[in-house]
Amino acid sequence: MKSLTALIKREYLEHRGAFVYAPAVILVILAVILFAGAGLGRFNPPNVEHTGSIGIVSGAKGFEFGFLGLSAMWMFYLLVTLFFYFADAFSADSRHNAMLFWKSMPQSDFKILASKMLAGFTIFPALILGALILSSVIVFIAIVAMLGTVPGLVASDPAAFLASAANVLSFDVGYLVLALLWYAPFFAWVGLLSTLFRRWSIPLAFLIPGLVGLAENLLFRNIFSAPDAGFVLSFLRERMSFALNREDIMAALISERTFDTVGLYGRLLGQIDWAQLVGGVGVAFVLVYLASEYRRRYVAT
Amino acid sequence: MNDLAETTSAPIVSARGLRKQFGGREILHGLDFDIPAGRIYGLVGHNGAGKTTTLNAILGLTSYEGTVRVLGEDPYAKRAQLMENVAFISDVASLPRFLRVRELFALLTNIHPNFDQQKARGFLEGTDVRMDARIKNLSKGMIAQLHLAVVMAINARLLVLDEPTLGLDITYRKRFYRRLLEDYMTEERTLLITTHQVDEIEFMLSDIMFIRDGELVLHMQMETVSGKYAQVLVRPADVEAARAHKPIYEETRFGQTAMVFDGVDRDTLAAFGEVSTPTLSDLFVALMQREPK
Repeated sequence: MKSLTALIKREYLEHRGAFVYAPAVILVILAVILFAGAGLGRFNPPNVEHTGSIGIVSGAKGFEFGFLGLSAMWMFYLLVTLFFYFADAFSADSRHNAMLFWKSMPQSDFKILASKMLAGFTIFPALILGALILSSVIVFIAIVAMLGTVPGLVASDPAAFLASAANVLSFDVGYLVLALLWYAPFFAWVGLLSTLFRRWSIPLAFLIPGLVGLAENLLFRNIFSAPDAGFVLSFLRERMSFALNREDIMAALISERTFDTVGLYGRLLGQIDWAQLVGGVGVAFVLVYLASEYRRRYVAT
Repeated sequence: MNDLAETTSAPIVSARGLRKQFGGREILHGLDFDIPAGRIYGLVGHNGAGKTTTLNAILGLTSYEGTVRVLGEDPYAKRAQLMENVAFISDVASLPRFLRVRELFALLTNIHPNFDQQKARGFLEGTDVRMDARIKNLSKGMIAQLHLAVVMAINARLLVLDEPTLGLDITYRKRFYRRLLEDYMTEERTLLITTHQVDEIEFMLSDIMFIRDGELVLHMQMETVSGKYAQVLVRPADVEAARAHKPIYEETRFGQTAMVFDGVDRDTLAAFGEVSTPTLSDLFVALMQREPK
């Protein structure tokens, strides 16, 4: 366990640029934009017109809205960055012959690749959640600054803000865990390709399924009663999406009540194909194992 | 015989019929050798002779045909476990560049159960390597010093060094081997070293192996070399008579003819000129000729 923790820390040290420094820069830019906008009066009349279409909005609800928007932004950032991380990390040890050094350590190739997967599923999402929390503080300050100046935005008591933050954050954490598990086979897939083909893994991650789908459509389309675009591409299209219905999100947003975490969780858990999720995690495990065997047998430099 | 006696008498490395093919071409042609504990072995050969492939087989970095045992284990099947007792440098530039020296030591403390951080820090005392330095900012010589400090701070029974001083200047090379020998004197270790600069390691070797085109052409203890091989600076008048004893190598240096003999009595050779023991580099040149003169 001690060595696994150390290997995960090594991943942090090697890839912290994408998960610490870049988010820090984004936070600074976000803060500058928001506060510069407030300073320039962009949120004050006549720049903001109150059309009356959304009625009176409490500060806590506005904060919730901003927090959820930022959640979507940071989760998108995390998933995209993780994809690039796995595309790099599984072959990063080959840079500058460092593979020879890591192979001189009493750690199996599977354990080293597993540490990369675990880093992608633990410490890096935790860092992005940290960035999300910090950005929510920025939004909170901005909302408080706008109270009394933006039409229709009325003050809330601190407890309401705290409740909104806790509700949205607890939903984010659960959603993120499930989303990472759902997308695990995609991350393992690009990791395996990275072990085999290094920097070509990213285009190949899309090219290979695309070619398989094309082959299915051209060669076998009329043999089976396949859905539009064929079995492969249809399956991938479904497998790529993991989100609540738009109606559920909008309902939670426009509700005058505090963000309904429990209700949304219920709907989210009901929409998940659990067999697919568990099967996908199994596929991810197999892909990482195959990558480790390839690394053990053929990758020495 | 007790367990300890069995452990110390068993070879650290044993190879039988070691073969390796790359793309249908056989690189190693069935090597057989044992490396006993506590020796300093030099493995010498031309580029492409099979040195690194042999070491990679010993270190479990490549598959092979035949049987290889390191500390009694199959290195290809049990590389990770073996590395607790085997340390190696295959390329001094292979340290992870994104780390600082102290980060490297902290990681190794948790990753390698036999790594002693205090010992590694001790090896770096008196060098220009600072604990806060990023490895990517160190010079090649400093990286070599750091890498040597790392492997010497690992309490390993076998230390394998593949061209450890490649690209380093003479000062670093001499310091490197001096530290290595000092460490060897204080620990119970077996060393296996490959290098092109055979003269620089000759003083410390107990055994030598020459590999040519995937075959061992020499495998003996250093003290045996002087009994088996002799070099003679033959007087011009005695060249033909000396040739009658079938030298394995002959060359003319500044008007003098030097011949290397295998298994010819030194008293007999003394009649032709000054007799000496060939240096490893002379012996290397003599034995590595594809067609001995």
